[in-house]
Amino acid sequence: MSALIELTIDGTKVVVPEGTTVFDAARLNGISIPTLCHQQNETPVGVCRMCVVDVGARVYTASCIRPVEPGMVVKTASEKVKSARHTLIELLMSDHPSPCARQQQSGDCELETLAAREKISKPRYSRRSTSRGKDASSPSIAVDFDACILCDRCIRGCSEIRENFVLGRMGKGSLAGIAFDDNSPMGESSCVSCGECMVSCPTGALTNKGVSQATLGTGPRFEPVAPEFLQQLPFFQGVSGTFLSLNNRAIVMRHFKRGEIICREGEYGSTAFYILDGTARVSISSPMAHVKTLGALRKFLGKLSSQLTQRDRDDRDEENKQSWIPIDAPVDLAYTNPVAELGPGDLFGEMTCMSLYPRSATVSAKTDCVMLEMLRNVLDIMQRNKNFRAQLDSSYRQRALDTHLRAVPVFADLTDEFIGTLREKVELVRCPPGHVICRQGEPADSFYLVRIGFVKVSQAYQGGEITLAYLSRGDYFGETGLLHGDMRTATCAALDHVELVRIGAADFARMIEQFPDVRRKLEAVERDRMQQNRERLAITRSVPLDNFLQQGLMEAQSLLLLDLTSCTRCDACVRACADSHDGVTRLVREGLRFDHYLVATSCRHCLDPLCMVGCPVGSIRRRNSLEVIIEDWCIGCGLCAENCPYGNINLHPFNVMGNDPEHPGQRIAMVKQKATSCDLCTNYAEPSCVYACPHDAAHRVNPREYFAGLLGQTAGPKPGQSQK
Amino acid sequence: MRIDRTHKLWLVASLVILGASTAVYIPYALNSREGPSGGSPIGLTFGIIGSAFMVFSGLLAARKKVAVWRLGRAQSWMRGHLWLGLLSLPLILFHAGFRSGGALTTTLLVLIVAVIASGLFGAVLQHFLPNMMTSEVSSETIFEQIDHVRAQMQAEADELMMRASAPVKLVAAAPSGDLAATAEAVLSAEEIIAPLREFYDREMRPFLQDPSGRDQALADPEKSRELFKGLRRILPSEAQETANNLEEICEEERQLRRQASLHHWLHGWLMLHIPLSFALLLLGFVHAIVALRF
Repeated sequence: MSALIELTIDGTKVVVPEGTTVFDAARLNGISIPTLCHQQNETPVGVCRMCVVDVGARVYTASCIRPVEPGMVVKTASEKVKSARHTLIELLMSDHPSPCARQQQSGDCELETLAAREKISKPRYSRRSTSRGKDASSPSIAVDFDACILCDRCIRGCSEIRENFVLGRMGKGSLAGIAFDDNSPMGESSCVSCGECMVSCPTGALTNKGVSQATLGTGPRFEPVAPEFLQQLPFFQGVSGTFLSLNNRAIVMRHFKRGEIICREGEYGSTAFYILDGTARVSISSPMAHVKTLGALRKFLGKLSSQLTQRDRDDRDEENKQSWIPIDAPVDLAYTNPVAELGPGDLFGEMTCMSLYPRSATVSAKTDCVMLEMLRNVLDIMQRNKNFRAQLDSSYRQRALDTHLRAVPVFADLTDEFIGTLREKVELVRCPPGHVICRQGEPADSFYLVRIGFVKVSQAYQGGEITLAYLSRGDYFGETGLLHGDMRTATCAALDHVELVRIGAADFARMIEQFPDVRRKLEAVERDRMQQNRERLAITRSVPLDNFLQQGLMEAQSLLLLDLTSCTRCDACVRACADSHDGVTRLVREGLRFDHYLVATSCRHCLDPLCMVGCPVGSIRRRNSLEVIIEDWCIGCGLCAENCPYGNINLHPFNVMGNDPEHPGQRIAMVKQKATSCDLCTNYAEPSCVYACPHDAAHRVNPREYFAGLLGQTAGPKPGQSQK
Repeated sequence: MRIDRTHKLWLVASLVILGASTAVYIPYALNSREGPSGGSPIGLTFGIIGSAFMVFSGLLAARKKVAVWRLGRAQSWMRGHLWLGLLSLPLILFHAGFRSGGALTTTLLVLIVAVIASGLFGAVLQHFLPNMMTSEVSSETIFEQIDHVRAQMQAEADELMMRASAPVKLVAAAPSGDLAATAEAVLSAEEIIAPLREFYDREMRPFLQDPSGRDQALADPEKSRELFKGLRRILPSEAQETANNLEEICEEERQLRRQASLHHWLHGWLMLHIPLSFALLLLGFVHAIVALRF
């Protein structure tokens, strides 16, 4: 037992055990000393100096770190001490945005509370002229470096309490600040979003992000969940209770009766579901078909009509023959029977929740179900939780890796045995939006399969960068460098929240050695990709960078141009387009002008097809010829139409009979939409809009060839010569 | 449709047909004892060919109704309409021997001249006006959307005026809670933009509301420029941007008016050409029946 020490604090004799700090000795005897950097559950560091007291030494001492000594006489509130504290608060306030986020949210910024007590409204000292910045990269915690007083409470909370060791100090002097990992944005760091730093912070430097824009429903069907209940669940273990309390409106428990619809395909949502109990049925009710234009009477007389046609009856060039449809859940759906089941421990709706994409499938309760429905900030916390990640990863490896790999045509021949060995070796990697997964010129060390989200593949060239492709679930990258034991030939970056399956170079080498057919297929794909890239690059290099680029014309492969000097604005082109597509025109006679041409609103078959980004089921893609093709499993959500910068994608409604998601086994009449874009009237030798123009004003052209003269090129057909 | 070098083949073919017809007609007219007649074999041949050309020209309207049918490019039909329609006049004149005949044939002759004249007028308009519209109407929209665009512009102008009247800066400058100072600031803001308000109510709003109005100063680009120039001189700096935006809206309105006007010229002549053409074909049919029967 330690010895007792007697000392005097503010004229009162007190006795405390040896080793007690002056701060604690005062606190134990009812004397309050103000502090900012000290918390009872953290090691004292004495950096804020707010707790200075006069112990009769040459300088005032920080009471939180000064151990008591026998006979010590402590003055905690003498005029001189109070004056020193006042000056300190003034100095801190001069470097603090007032009111800070915390003061605005809850009015309890500790520094501003102290300042108010000291009646400090305007500090005497000049403010910092440049901002230290903000970090909004984390979906759940906002960082305002200007409000940070460098008390280190967050750092000690992260390291001592949670033992995550993500936070630290960075910089010196006026540039000193907190930093995540090696000064990464918080959202891209290894932070697990436990919330301890935010709870520890005395000011508005680390605050909880509001979710006011997307709130969960209320009422009897939305049962609030207590943080204590959540913490009992294995996958919430380790998450800060305070943080769960702060986000208690962002997670609810839902009870669904058998047959009840949980979410519908194509709907926009902002939540993810985690199944606690019961079985859910996942299905796609859109017909597995594409829009086919049919010519009447041997392509000679009569109007054309559009019809939904399945790929086994209408085999289109380069149509995808994959038998699995990627959806926003741990399972893929079979093309022939797009129905699957999810059970306890499964999470679905991640892409909708994290990136606000439309729902990719309809989910209904097969049995009575209990689920947690959560908003993005809670899902982000869960995904960063080690226990939850481990559970999700295990579930994916056991249940989804097989179908995911087999859904990729080149891997269809892998044996169960080999997939079994891969199961334990693959790594699941998460990337925040903008994260560069691999860079052009780096040594190739991995092969990646896209599990969730979209990856942009680009290549640098002298004078710029070109986008080669957008990859989504089921796509893969990294094979080129590995096949040749060489460098990366392109840069791949996450466009949104991306999850990848990473196969290391050694396992990849073993795979292609063991399965020569896989190697052959990969080499064929690689050859095609390289050829396309070369063509793309050649196009980019052949055209001078001028105003032509500003209208995105260089990105187009096929433009519908109307020569405004001969166009009488009779709209024959628009009527012909409508007649060719069941009365739904795919062309609007409006758009930007280039020279004396109107660039009509009709699919440009862009080289950088932004329409493909975000498709929740990956049904829109580019053919090898770079034209856009919409696969049979389009669910008609319309995201591609929204994403097209030129408004060139339309939704074509059809009356169909489909499975009733609310009454499995029954069929009902419904209107389903399919995305359509200009198909260049492939039934005919010439697009109808061009054919029907009586004034020789409409032309379908390759802009780089057509405008070669204007762009200072020598080659190219003369204006008036259309494509096809 | 522009009449340019690409019409060379049609021009040459038409001239050859006209030359050949003339070469047949002159000796026929000179050698006929009773003069050329529509009932003679040569006259009848001219009549049939001329009528066939007219019927072909008339079929353009039907062709446009089935734009998707692969019956030849619409452009070829249009060129045929233009040149063969034009050729039908000398052929019919050869058929009639340059005589008007009875009431029906006189009517037919007047009709064909009117149809050809209106067609030529339309061809000239469609040759020049698209170019004019392209150069003069930079903010062209779809014709049917003009009223909608105009309504949007009016709403935008109203919004601009409302924002100019809301003295945000002045109110913000008044100490919070000081109602008297705030009211004073509001009043002084109203005073400042009073000339703009008066101009808007008196000149611009009627100009935007009534596209067919006469004697509107803002309809004339020169007068409009002067008006806005004078207005800017008396407006404070905060209201200058509003004045600029309003001037742009006026310019857009003038362009819409110009587009509507040119559009009417581009297509208005068809209101005459099409009914006359139908009447001509109908009466031509009647004439053929009557002539062959009696």
